[in-house]
Amino acid sequence: MDHIKQQIKYVMATVLNVEVADIPENCSYGTFERWDSLGHMNLVVALEEEFEIRFDDEEVSDMLNLFLIYNFVISKLETN
Amino acid sequence: MKYTEILQRNRELGANLTGELYRIALLSNITVHHLKEVLELALRERHIKAEITVGDYDNIIQDCNKFQDVNSIVIFWEAANIVDFLHCRIDLYSEDDLLLLYQRIESEIDIIVKKLQNIPLVIINRFSSSLFKTNKLKDDSLKQFCNRLNILLEGKVTSNFLIVDLDAVLLQVGLRSSVDFRQYYSSKALYTVDFFRAYAVSIAPAFSAVTGRSKKLLVLDCDNTLWGGIIGEDGESGIKLDKETLAGKCFTEIQYLIKGLRHRGVLLALCSKNNPEDVYKLFATHPGMILRNEDFVAKKVSWQNKATNLRELSIELNLGLDSFVFIDDSEFELGLIQKELPQVHCVIVPQNLSEYPTVIESLTNEFFSFSNTQEDQSRTEMYIQEILRKDQINKYSSIEEYLSSLELVLELIWDVGIPVARAAQLTQKTNQFNLTTHRYTEADIKRMLADPCYLLVLFSASDKFGDYGVTGMSIIRIQNELKNHAFIDTFLMSCRVIGRNIEFAFFSKIVYKLQELNITNIEAEYLSTPKNSQVNTFYDSIGFSIINENSQKKTYTLELSNLKPKSIDYIQFK
Repeated sequence: MDHIKQQIKYVMATVLNVEVADIPENCSYGTFERWDSLGHMNLVVALEEEFEIRFDDEEVSDMLNLFLIYNFVISKLETN
Repeated sequence: MKYTEILQRNRELGANLTGELYRIALLSNITVHHLKEVLELALRERHIKAEITVGDYDNIIQDCNKFQDVNSIVIFWEAANIVDFLHCRIDLYSEDDLLLLYQRIESEIDIIVKKLQNIPLVIINRFSSSLFKTNKLKDDSLKQFCNRLNILLEGKVTSNFLIVDLDAVLLQVGLRSSVDFRQYYSSKALYTVDFFRAYAVSIAPAFSAVTGRSKKLLVLDCDNTLWGGIIGEDGESGIKLDKETLAGKCFTEIQYLIKGLRHRGVLLALCSKNNPEDVYKLFATHPGMILRNEDFVAKKVSWQNKATNLRELSIELNLGLDSFVFIDDSEFELGLIQKELPQVHCVIVPQNLSEYPTVIESLTNEFFSFSNTQEDQSRTEMYIQEILRKDQINKYSSIEEYLSSLELVLELIWDVGIPVARAAQLTQKTNQFNLTTHRYTEADIKRMLADPCYLLVLFSASDKFGDYGVTGMSIIRIQNELKNHAFIDTFLMSCRVIGRNIEFAFFSKIVYKLQELNITNIEAEYLSTPKNSQVNTFYDSIGFSIINENSQKKTYTLELSNLKPKSIDYIQFK
């Protein structure tokens, strides 16, 4: 699996306090108990630190599943 | 440190720390949930097993009722969110609107202070407008309003409250790194993890102090730590301690700062590899010297290894190594201390001397103490008197003979007459001769003074060498259901007066008083800590019988008719 995806899953696992292996490809907001509105903020903070990027207002509210998070991260890294 | 690292490290420490849980509630009118993990980590790094519960969003007043049994409360009360959009609406307010709002906050402060009077430590921030208003030429209306609220807050809080200068934390982190407005519009969260990290580090010393973990002794190397250069090589005229050179000015400032710490109750000691005569002479005669020989409670100037010197200091001064801060310019020396005595807090003199004053200034936090009592200012003199006393011991053939020669005098202070700040400080700082190690704040002490079930007694002691100050204390609770039974909640003595049999004389006086109150039975307990093993048989030695015993706790009872009073005829009472 690609490296960026793996890194995202690692961040999600730490922030949401689950195992990397337990994160399904189709997971989204609400899949885990801790991925609620506060958990989402934590996730944004942790991802921005991990990849040294900054999401725009809209992206923060739109990135509600693993697939979208991955796309936003990739496009941010490309524009940097 | 990254947020994910904070989360991981906090989980690890949370799982590994032993000891009693320290519970904190975090109340706020904005979203501050990031502070939970960040503050937990800052406290767990200080060996405080903290666990934080975040209150409901914008529910400070109601939450004050809900969290009545926690050890501490932290309040984040954001001015801009006192009412929705206050920061941009305030310019539209009339005088009357402002007055109404002011009165609302006033009554809320009253409720908070009253509801939280029994919480040992409450941390609340000064109201700040800095996040929203950047007008530099004239104070805007939000800032003016915050200023009025801050005056109100300072006038109303009780001694269990600490007010944090939020602007100072913002200044340290920088406004841009402190705030993330994206989250304000989605979730009413304002502050970044970086800001909370700085905030947590700023307030952590208060938690160390309230749990009896503050630092007490600052140990200093000499060459290139208190002056520039090496006395043994450069000589008295060659060292840098003047008002002309950069190094000379920095070291002058350092000496002023350190002397300031001593005036606020921090004990100072030297630990340096040098010829003692050179160093003593320098402190006595060098014209640029701010610190003098008599500012130090002990001087370890020798060619002996510094870890050995620190261990000796700990024994001679009767202070735990975990209450030491050690400053040196040599990485080698500090490395040795960190390896052999990891409990000592080590600080290196920075390469750039211009950064040195900031390092010393930030150490002030480690010596944080809630109150400034008279004992703080004269602490050094008392320790020096104590060393003189120890020198005398050798002149006498028995310890009893020595104690008799001291001409000890105790003065008891009961109930309303007691110095409240000192009483609280004694419970917070005394670790060794302390049977139960209950920590109390000034608010706790006042509450007990107001309660007729409690009897509080302190003593001040003196002898022919000088005054020890207020150095012993007991709290006795008269049992509600059985009026002739009393329970000893606290019995402690400062380490300054240990080893003089004062405890027996003090206890006899308490018994005498209890008999006047028709008490016939006393219950007591010994709660074991890593530091109070020296008193684990104190109650056994004065005739108490054990009711129950395990490794942490012994409970005792005593019928006063069975008491075997020890007669200590060389202690007089005033």
